[in-house]
Amino acid sequence: MAQYVSLDTLRFLLYDVHKVEKLLQYERFRDFDRNAFDMLLDSAKTWADQDFYPYLREMDEQPAYFKDGKVHTHPIVKKLFKEAGANGWLGMYFDTEDGGIQLPMTITNSVFHILEAANNHLPGYLGLTSGSAHLIASFGSDDLKKTYIPNMLSGKWAGTMALTEPQSGSSLSDITTTATPVSEGTYSIRGQKIFISGGDHEGVDNFIHLTLARIDGAPSGTKGISLFVVPQYRVQDDGQLVYNHVKAVADFQKMGQRGYSTVHLVYGEEDASYGYLIGEANQGLKHMFQMMNGARIDVGLSAASIATAAYYASLQYARERPQGRKLQNKGKKEATNEQTLIINHPDVRRMLLLQKAVVEGALSLLLECSLHVDIAGSDQSETGINSKLLSEILTPVAKTYPAEMGRIAVNNGLQVLGGYGFCTDFVLQQYARDIRIMAIYEGTTGIQSLDLLGRKIPMENGRALRLLSAQIMETISSASNHENLAPYANVLGKHLPRVQQALEYLFPFALQGDHEDYLADATIFMDLTSNIIIAHQWLKMALAAENALQSGDSTYTEDFYRSKVHTMKFYFKYELPKTSASLETLLNKDKLTITDTYNDSIF
Amino acid sequence: MNILVCISKTPDTTSKISFKSDNTEYNSDGVTFIMNPYDEWYALVRALEITEQNGGSVTVINVGPATNDIIIRKALAIGAADAVRVDTEAMDSYVVAANIAAHAKSKNYDMIFLGKETIDYNGSEVGAMVAEIMDLPYASYVSRLDISGSTATITRELEGGEEVSQIDGAFVLSAAKGLAEQRIANMKGIMMAKSKPLTVVQPVQADARVSAVKYAVPPPKSGVKLVDPDNMDELVRLLHEEAKVI
Repeated sequence: MAQYVSLDTLRFLLYDVHKVEKLLQYERFRDFDRNAFDMLLDSAKTWADQDFYPYLREMDEQPAYFKDGKVHTHPIVKKLFKEAGANGWLGMYFDTEDGGIQLPMTITNSVFHILEAANNHLPGYLGLTSGSAHLIASFGSDDLKKTYIPNMLSGKWAGTMALTEPQSGSSLSDITTTATPVSEGTYSIRGQKIFISGGDHEGVDNFIHLTLARIDGAPSGTKGISLFVVPQYRVQDDGQLVYNHVKAVADFQKMGQRGYSTVHLVYGEEDASYGYLIGEANQGLKHMFQMMNGARIDVGLSAASIATAAYYASLQYARERPQGRKLQNKGKKEATNEQTLIINHPDVRRMLLLQKAVVEGALSLLLECSLHVDIAGSDQSETGINSKLLSEILTPVAKTYPAEMGRIAVNNGLQVLGGYGFCTDFVLQQYARDIRIMAIYEGTTGIQSLDLLGRKIPMENGRALRLLSAQIMETISSASNHENLAPYANVLGKHLPRVQQALEYLFPFALQGDHEDYLADATIFMDLTSNIIIAHQWLKMALAAENALQSGDSTYTEDFYRSKVHTMKFYFKYELPKTSASLETLLNKDKLTITDTYNDSIF
Repeated sequence: MNILVCISKTPDTTSKISFKSDNTEYNSDGVTFIMNPYDEWYALVRALEITEQNGGSVTVINVGPATNDIIIRKALAIGAADAVRVDTEAMDSYVVAANIAAHAKSKNYDMIFLGKETIDYNGSEVGAMVAEIMDLPYASYVSRLDISGSTATITRELEGGEEVSQIDGAFVLSAAKGLAEQRIANMKGIMMAKSKPLTVVQPVQADARVSAVKYAVPPPKSGVKLVDPDNMDELVRLLHEEAKVI
């Protein structure tokens, strides 16, 4: 079986770079140890080898489709839910009282990294079911918990998030799905939802759609949105299931992730679709954000994982494909010499190193972000409060960087294969299509950038950014003590103030209430910030590797540790300098994308 | 029905193999170790299936240092009830077999299972030695096992066919592919593994009888040679003289 993930790199990031074992000090995680974490990762890899990777190509070639009123998916989906339920994969991070084992999110996401890298068409089915059930566990009544959570965690029923409507995508304040009161906590839901991932396939007996709708008479905008459980089949008082008149009317055919169903739902068209309020009325978006924040990390993880699989696929090809002769320093190629493997050509090595730098940098950030989520949920002291802020500021970056740079990494992987990369005989073209959605799912790159610059940077008077900067400075200080790393620490120290330079230029616009000027180039600000954050991740990885080399740690080979230091140097030479261009654009006073009124004359 | 399953620790199948100490020792730097797949996938799982159907329990035994506890816990996570570790280095097959037999003699196990070989040294020796020391019947390379009362019906794959035989009473079995299907340690099993008993016992007197003189890795694969389709003589020559397949 071809390599699609590196457990060594995953373990190095978990234990050596991010010190995940520090979580064991908390009551919530006291039943775990490193051995248990390793066994879980090992089990996930075995499961991925057996039931995920072998179906990657088939699910692309035989996509989900809608016929005769039903959504049809690959048969493995049914087996997946059965196994996931039987073996406890759906409730990993849930409280024990809700049927889980309280696994840290950091390890849960590590498990999902393995599964996503093996076959990105499948884990979403599980992730959405877990996420929906967790939302019910967090905000639902005892009755709702009792009715839905056991059936969802056992894999009998699946869950979805139903937010988007035909006229309301990024702007959820404009949703029009209505909820009319029927009885205490029960509403009649009418409307349509589109792009519902993982919906209405044949793999389970029932679907639980976590649906945003507006209760009759509710305020306009996001303050009038409530959250409902809307089952495909509702449970009667006698325990019988009856059809709830929420049905799929189409499955969207997509360029990638074709095995992952994406349905169009219609509620209450023929008869009443009952929905059950979760949490408080008009607080639906706030509740949903718990799931959406997790889902944003999941999307970043999916992107990083696809790019990881693409990296190993192109690496394997580069190690086997002879083509051309190696350039000699004396300036001429000997045509009579045997051809060299393409991995020996500098430009191919550059493309491979770019992929490695992106995928491992992204994965490192995602694990750090997950670690902050774990600490924030377990530590009541200032440490926990700081981790909450850090998880909030890092989440839009952890979603966007892997999605945007992962796409570029995969394209470089495809390029390594030359013409074969464009052919369906090789998997790279599939990865290039599969990863494209990641910059769109769960808030586009534009939305994430507005979230970063418009909400996360200013929150609590910039405290999250100060905490992040302090952490980066701490790493710079530690790295400065290593002769090999000091020059790179110094370089990052020079790039870090560029974020502040950009903000000093932008903040006056916000203070004047000129939000369009403040936010117009939020995506460029995202580029600048994420570049520095990933550089920080690489300096941390290099630091951990240098420490291991100096102490003679033989957990991994010397080559493994040296490869981390080498890739850090690559990142600092080829990627980090791009902060200059980002800053120059941000400081440029020309207003080229802003208009006072509707004006398309320049197009 | 109580079954003893012998498990070994081996390098992961994807590990890069190298040697040290003048090519007399395996270099374990940077290597991830796993439970020997023949022990785990076939011997252990079939033992669990038998006890699930007939009652009884599965005990796993390993001969090795405390660093081997990681694979012992995996066996417990997959379903073994308890474990024994003989606290000594597995210097050679005889040391391992002598210690397993010493433990098993006092316990009255109905069956003793182990993989047909380890994937590192490929010795296929321990099972036969345990059977000999304990004076028990030995069935090697078993691909199917059916139990009916005290009789075991055993199928072994032979070149071009198979052999079916029966054994009454206790026996030692080495497991081959097909005996069972690999099981994945699930959440509940992993969480319970830590609380299952793992007894560490001291080794019996047994001196190693084999020492490695030298290890060597296979020569690297040579590159692909392209032969002009019009030059069949050259192709035949290469296949005869270099590949030596005709």
